[in-house]
Amino acid sequence: MSKQVTRREFLNLLGAAGGTAAALKAGSALGLLPHTAQAATVDLHAANPANRKVAILGAGLSGLTVAYELSKVGYECTILESSHRPGGRIFTVRHGDLIDEIGNRQYCEFDDEPHMYFNAGAARIPSTHRNLLAYCKELKIDLEVFINENKTTFMQDSAVNGGKPIRNIDYTTHTRGFLAELLAKSLSAGEMDEPFTDAEAETLMSLIRSFGDLNEDNLYKGSLRAGYASGGFLEHGVQKDIIAMSELLKTQMGNQFLNANEGDTGPMLFQAVGGMDKIIEGFTNHVGHQIHYRSMVNAVEVKDDGIDIAYYQDGTRHLLQADFCFNCIPSHIMTGITNNFPTQYVDALKYIRRGTAYKAAFQAKERFWEKEDIYGGISWMSSPSKQIWYPSAGMHKQKGIILGAYDYIDGELHTARTQEQRIEAHLTDGEKIHPNYRNQVEKPITIAWHRMNHMLGCSARWQRDRNAWTHEEEELYHALQQPVNGRHYMIGDQVSMHSAWQESAVMSAQWAMADLNQQLLA
Amino acid sequence: MLKTFMAFSLCMACIGGTSAAESEREPFDDRYCTTCHGTDGRGNEGVQAPRLAGMEPWYLRRQLENFRGDIRGVHAEDREGIAMRPMATKLTDESIDDILGWISSWDYIPAEATVKGGDPLRGRDLYSGCAVCHGADATGNESLGAPALAGQNDWYLVTQLKNFLAGYRGAHPNDTYGAQMRTMVSTLRNEAGILNVVSYINSLSR
Repeated sequence: MSKQVTRREFLNLLGAAGGTAAALKAGSALGLLPHTAQAATVDLHAANPANRKVAILGAGLSGLTVAYELSKVGYECTILESSHRPGGRIFTVRHGDLIDEIGNRQYCEFDDEPHMYFNAGAARIPSTHRNLLAYCKELKIDLEVFINENKTTFMQDSAVNGGKPIRNIDYTTHTRGFLAELLAKSLSAGEMDEPFTDAEAETLMSLIRSFGDLNEDNLYKGSLRAGYASGGFLEHGVQKDIIAMSELLKTQMGNQFLNANEGDTGPMLFQAVGGMDKIIEGFTNHVGHQIHYRSMVNAVEVKDDGIDIAYYQDGTRHLLQADFCFNCIPSHIMTGITNNFPTQYVDALKYIRRGTAYKAAFQAKERFWEKEDIYGGISWMSSPSKQIWYPSAGMHKQKGIILGAYDYIDGELHTARTQEQRIEAHLTDGEKIHPNYRNQVEKPITIAWHRMNHMLGCSARWQRDRNAWTHEEEELYHALQQPVNGRHYMIGDQVSMHSAWQESAVMSAQWAMADLNQQLLA
Repeated sequence: MLKTFMAFSLCMACIGGTSAAESEREPFDDRYCTTCHGTDGRGNEGVQAPRLAGMEPWYLRRQLENFRGDIRGVHAEDREGIAMRPMATKLTDESIDDILGWISSWDYIPAEATVKGGDPLRGRDLYSGCAVCHGADATGNESLGAPALAGQNDWYLVTQLKNFLAGYRGAHPNDTYGAQMRTMVSTLRNEAGILNVVSYINSLSR
């Protein structure tokens, strides 16, 4: 350590903790966190027979939510879907499925078994995403726990531990120990008069000791929490060696590693049993007959008395006339479709940048991770493949599907490569954690959302600055949320302040339907 | 659903056909253009994909062949070209013929002007050099291999002129016409010159 942490610095840290509470409160005010009074589904009035035709553009989750709810109250819905499948970015890939990446088409060759699937898009449902969960309940979608954090998984960075992977449990146990020791030292200097009472100070100190498993002298000397080097059952357990703090400080991966299990991706998380598209199936069981596939919208004209949608299907131009339209076509594709939207609305569509998330997956010939005590969870790498996900289901079966790469920030790094180069990079990265990886996996697939036909992007990026929305951005967002002429609503997670989540798609659809309902009552 | 499937199968037969095993799988063709290039190929600023409707078939063929042959879209800074190249890499000669036929079926409607900040009067002087090949009214000249510029998306013209100027496009030894463009575009000097000349091109009707 080249620098001592002063008490002043420590108190500043506490100040920052106060800031978190304030931020949480603000988060709730912005609608980022669910309110207790939030209705799970919307309460809509019956359709007016003279005004009941609805065009839904896109069979993604938000479009299907609208179709499902409006059909319940007597609207006549028609869904135009440009691709061959429903679900948008809720895409479970199985044996024989087409992955329609422009310039890199693939068919999935996984074994044809129920547990051999890959959630190429949405993969996690937080327990706080109550609107989505309410639909899962209503549509009888079986859920199971999704394992995000698993203490036996690895982190790997060539800069630390000689490049050898470190178990999550070693990194977290030691890091907590070192942080606790540091805190205990700063609080032991007899300067505890403020801001704590004696009782508070004692509680705090015992919390710190417990947090880091410190010994009686408030020192961290390793912990059995990291597991045993040997023994532990029939013989005495032998404590593992400590990995020195100076070693752990050679990587900044901890930042990512520690907060990966907080916020939306904190426990408890779920997944749909058998693949996330079971949720989509739940909706299409009710409204699937309303979907026209391979129907590509090429003009949207909002009029005083209705809305005209022109689209191509089977090489022929068709016209769909409706009273209302709910549109979840990605904003960056909508800008290329002829329309008569107001200028600010178009400006908003143009402002949003498209996400470039990228995933890859392999079929594993055997579940080699289970031999390393890993059942579900995520290993983290500093190399570009970034993550390996072990399946949360199918324990102890012969084979399984693992995620071999997930880059949610810069997918273009991967798509600059050919399919063969992408796979080779993921194999090389994976070998750093599992030495025999290359021989244990087969039948790779890659999903580059910014290259997928009819999609061309992952979650919408509204903010130029990740830390805050500008006033202009908020204005554009609210402009896009409002209907055009009371008839055309943009929907989807793109019309939310929290894109990339199924919950946002559902809530955006519910917001639009509630707005229409209110408008018709007025 | 079955009807759609059959229609696509027939379409597939026109451009190559599939084996029996593959025909049980989701069919596809190479007509991806409008996903990026927008309604009837009128261009999409949202993904920076230019207008194809109204582009000359001989120019489109040359560019598709350049993309396919790793002549265009290979420079690391040519972001849009890099997005396009993998699409063209897989195209057969038959697919290119099919696509050109498809594109020629779209109506040509001139693009809206979006570029701000250029001076069309200054641009007019600069354009005199361009006019030699592209024509005084910017409608192009097939015998010189110069496409029409009038009616094209102005944001696309700006990007391409910047790419020529910076050497992101036209630097490949086999890109004969691109090399000519690189020489000519140097007369525009900088971004201001590019905006001026594009503002002037916007003023030309087609």
